[in-house]
Amino acid sequence: MAESPAATRERLRVVGRRLPRHDARDKVLARTLYAADWQMPGMLEGAVLRSPYPAARITRIDTSRAAACPGVAAVLTARDVPHNILWTDVPGQTSVVGPLRARVQVLADDQVRYQGEAVALVAAETREIADRALELIDVAYEAQPGVFTTEDALRPDAPRVHEEGNVLATWRVRCGDADTALARAHAVVEQTYRCGLIDHAYLEPEAGVAWIDADGVVVVRASTQVIEHFRDVADVLGLPHNKVRVIGPYVGGGFGGKEDVTVEVFLGLLAYRTGRPVRMVWSRQESLLARPKRHPFTLRYRTGAARDGTLLAHRIELTADAGAYAYLSALVLLYATVTAAGPYRVPHVAVDARAVYTNNPPTSAMRGFGAMQMVLGYESQIDQIARRLGLDPVEVRRRSALRRGDRLPVGQALDTHVAVAEAAERAWAALGPPRAPSSPRHRVGRGLACNLQPYGRLVWLRDWASAWVGLEADGSVVVRCGVPDVGGGQASSLCQIAAEALGVEPDRVTVHIADSALTPLAGTTTATRQLYMSGNAVLVAATQLHDEVRRVAARLLETPVEQVALADGAATAGPERRVLLADVVKECARLGVPRSHLGVYHAPAGDPVDLERGGGRVFPDYTFGAHAVEVEVDVDTGAASVRRHVACHDVGRAINPQSVEGQVQGGAVMGLGYGLMEEIIVDRGVNLTTSFASYLIPSALDVPDVEPIIIESGDGKGPFAARGIGEPPIGPPAAAIANAVEDAVGVRITDLPITPEKIARALGLLSGG
Amino acid sequence: MPAAPFDYEAPATLADALDLLRERGEDARPLAGGQSLVPLLTLRLARPRLVVDLDRLHELRAVRRTPGALEVGALVRHRALERGEGLLALCPLLQEAAALIGNARVRALGTVGGSVAHADPAAELPAVLRALDGAVVLRSARGERVVDAGDFFVGMLTTALAPGELLTAVRLPLPSPGAGFAVEEFSRRAGDFAVVAAVAVVELDGGAVARARVALAGVGPVPARLDRLEAALRGERLESGAIRRAVAERPLEIDPEGDIHASAEYRRHLAAVLTARALERAAEAAGRAIV
Ligand SMILES: Cc1cc2nc3c(=O)[nH]c(=O)nc-3n(C[C@H](O)[C@H](O)[C@H](O)COP(=O)(O)OP(=O)(O)OC[C@H]3O[C@@H](n4cnc5c(N)ncnc54)[C@H](O)[C@@H]3O)c2cc1C
Repeated sequence: MAESPAATRERLRVVGRRLPRHDARDKVLARTLYAADWQMPGMLEGAVLRSPYPAARITRIDTSRAAACPGVAAVLTARDVPHNILWTDVPGQTSVVGPLRARVQVLADDQVRYQGEAVALVAAETREIADRALELIDVAYEAQPGVFTTEDALRPDAPRVHEEGNVLATWRVRCGDADTALARAHAVVEQTYRCGLIDHAYLEPEAGVAWIDADGVVVVRASTQVIEHFRDVADVLGLPHNKVRVIGPYVGGGFGGKEDVTVEVFLGLLAYRTGRPVRMVWSRQESLLARPKRHPFTLRYRTGAARDGTLLAHRIELTADAGAYAYLSALVLLYATVTAAGPYRVPHVAVDARAVYTNNPPTSAMRGFGAMQMVLGYESQIDQIARRLGLDPVEVRRRSALRRGDRLPVGQALDTHVAVAEAAERAWAALGPPRAPSSPRHRVGRGLACNLQPYGRLVWLRDWASAWVGLEADGSVVVRCGVPDVGGGQASSLCQIAAEALGVEPDRVTVHIADSALTPLAGTTTATRQLYMSGNAVLVAATQLHDEVRRVAARLLETPVEQVALADGAATAGPERRVLLADVVKECARLGVPRSHLGVYHAPAGDPVDLERGGGRVFPDYTFGAHAVEVEVDVDTGAASVRRHVACHDVGRAINPQSVEGQVQGGAVMGLGYGLMEEIIVDRGVNLTTSFASYLIPSALDVPDVEPIIIESGDGKGPFAARGIGEPPIGPPAAAIANAVEDAVGVRITDLPITPEKIARALGLLSGG
Repeated sequence: MPAAPFDYEAPATLADALDLLRERGEDARPLAGGQSLVPLLTLRLARPRLVVDLDRLHELRAVRRTPGALEVGALVRHRALERGEGLLALCPLLQEAAALIGNARVRALGTVGGSVAHADPAAELPAVLRALDGAVVLRSARGERVVDAGDFFVGMLTTALAPGELLTAVRLPLPSPGAGFAVEEFSRRAGDFAVVAAVAVVELDGGAVARARVALAGVGPVPARLDRLEAALRGERLESGAIRRAVAERPLEIDPEGDIHASAEYRRHLAAVLTARALERAAEAAGRAIV
């Protein structure tokens, strides 16, 4: 970038403004029609029968009594599903397991592999009748031995969750010679960490409505992060892909939980079978019971450092519990493997990672996607090294912090600004002078944690996004883009980008999103990629349009094109000469100049790299940050509460600072919940936490005001040099709290969540083992 | 999941309500604030055929003063206790305990009778009732009986209430003037049920303990009284550390079980910490009252 960040900021009119989102008012006034709010004449209600067993054979299913129940329109089992399997491909896996074509069954046929697995579907006139019909389906299960820990799953004689064996995926990184470097290191810290199974816990459980349109197209309007699942619905039904359409309404939170198929395929099946509209809304219990969750990991780290604290080597072993089905586990594991050494220069790194099948709930995408689980490992290790060597926590990080041009252990060179050291310094400084404990029975401590998180998808997925931008005859702007808006302001940001490029106010822009039939496809709202990808696509289209319109305006104004600027809904050339955008559009029409453009943005692409032999580029780029927290620990009960939380990230450029701060604060609070209390507890495959009374998420009363610090380095690969910020802020809090707890009371907690009981036990307050 | 279908009646008088409950026996379930019953219905853990809404029974909203005691109608809401409305101000312990119940939404609807009849082992009001040696008034179509709190709580979510019977009021003997009290509790998250709660009432006589009472919630199926500790504290002078020593010297007579929120061992530990904190604060308050 030739222009300085400050100069760019000066030049921008709409980008960088704290605009209220265009969708906020409707949401607050309850006018937004979320997936479950959709009603259609003759609509049936769908429901799912789920297995009570984590591992069992189905010996018989008798649906006759349910089907005979008055008001029941359809009862479906695996036999009724034309193609009962969804496939996930993971190209480029450097694994002993081989290229992965992982299966998920739509409905269990002869085997159930986790508690809550879908066994049958019902559609009925009312929800009550559907529930009654579920109770009338007679399923005979024969319980089987299952495996419920990764340790058990890896034993040679363990029952196999899938025929191919229990190891689903492995990745290895080799960079330098970790063992020799560790043997020579001045300080070595070795520790095993465990992070838990957690749920997305979005406000809006999974829901949708499906119907058959007049032209025979199956339409599914569902809460999803991925409208491209129209292909899965079509494959399962055995229809051509162009006969299924997915519409994505505004989503009440996704966080990765609506990245895999949820209700879409079930709805498609029921609507196709009955020929009637069908709605399906999962209850909170169903969502907590049966949806894929975040991978628990066991992380073993051996870390070596020089006398001055400089990091020299990591030997890392990662084991992830993939649960009963593959879903996106192999990719989650790849993110973990690539980021396991953290945002630091570490010359010698060896990582061995594997994901293992168990009869636990399946695990898949969740905000942070494998990379966030690693923060507990690398940030706890560096903190213990600092403590061992008597170094300041900021200083030890500054010594090894990555800089532009450095390579990650997988061989990828960083080609944009790297703000790790700056973020650490600013977050730590913002904590200010320490505050006194609130009673003689409390101790105060502080902790710091940095992180890196990729934005955009793997380069060998050759990611792209498209968007259409057009000018109407009155000079108003239309954006069409297949982006699902999951509540992060995805659609609003596109308005701002188009408004900036075309010199209009954002309220002159209308954005149509997330309809696989009517909006150009933009890919998934996942992987911190939408602002980056669809934002770039909108910018490409709007810039082409801008250039075209400007040329026509120059003709009208009879000036050289370089002197024409689009601003305030008009084209101007100096103070005197001005023509309204609407008039320029009319002139375009007269001349036959296009008034719309389809923009396509291609992310940097590459072939799969061999992570063991030098590797290379894996992701387009990364977002860097640091959080600093102050905790207070009650030395009698062990309870830790976070009193201050500063969260600092480099976002390149804040398109809408208010949305950026919202992402940072929301992500930080989610990270606090992960660090302090959230835990799906599964006892031999049986989920004990299927309500919000047992699955604890923090309320507003349990968290401090998170103070965001937004760095705008003016460097990044998104539109206007933005970097993605959706996932990054969830990474650091848990590790920062663990570090602060040790600072406060001198004990190191290595298992998440950091509950009062674990601290009490570490403090020796509990007598027994 | 929505509740299984049920019939709904909202009788206008206590007599009508009792008749309905007698007729329908085990099929009927009274509804007060609904803060415990409605979740049970929607989780289908309770499937009554008939729900009898008590909301119109104004006679159950009364608060009366009797010699040495306060009688609080079953339909008095937690919010009224928290605010110490009217005669309820005579027992400020209720204020402190009620403020710890759930969140503002729960307190706005939940009732004294519902909480005591539901008998959640972690609930505050049953422990208050035990700490004050209170009693409950039960009515059925056949008549009225009064049962001591110690006999009323039978097990986890189980009480001496018979089918067809309603709890109409709780009786709370008022502690002597100058008594100190405190409620200390520990919960994993703001607004949740306590993991363990301790209710302490201390009466002093010239700087020594005349009577100390402690009731604990969350350490067993029913609220527990700590008789041995109470006896040991009698006559104890309260210079600093005496209470903590007394608590630490003997194992508390409780036998908690572990669950997903806390192990048995941690509950036992919390019980000791909270008992000491509650007693210390109650004793301090009693000391201040003397001065
Ligand atoms: C989020 C949340 C947090 C909570 N936290 C706490 C807490 O921290 N501490 C706490 O103590 N409670 C807590 N509660 C429970 C709350 O206090 C309930 O209000 C109370 O337990 C039941 O009172 P209710 O009036 O709502 O009764 P209901 O829910 O209407 O009834 C509860 C039970 O009692 C029976 N019943 C009700 N009234 C009578 C009567 N007069 N005679 C006979 N039987 C009757 C009903 O049939 C039912 O079985 C919480 C509830 C929620 C939802």
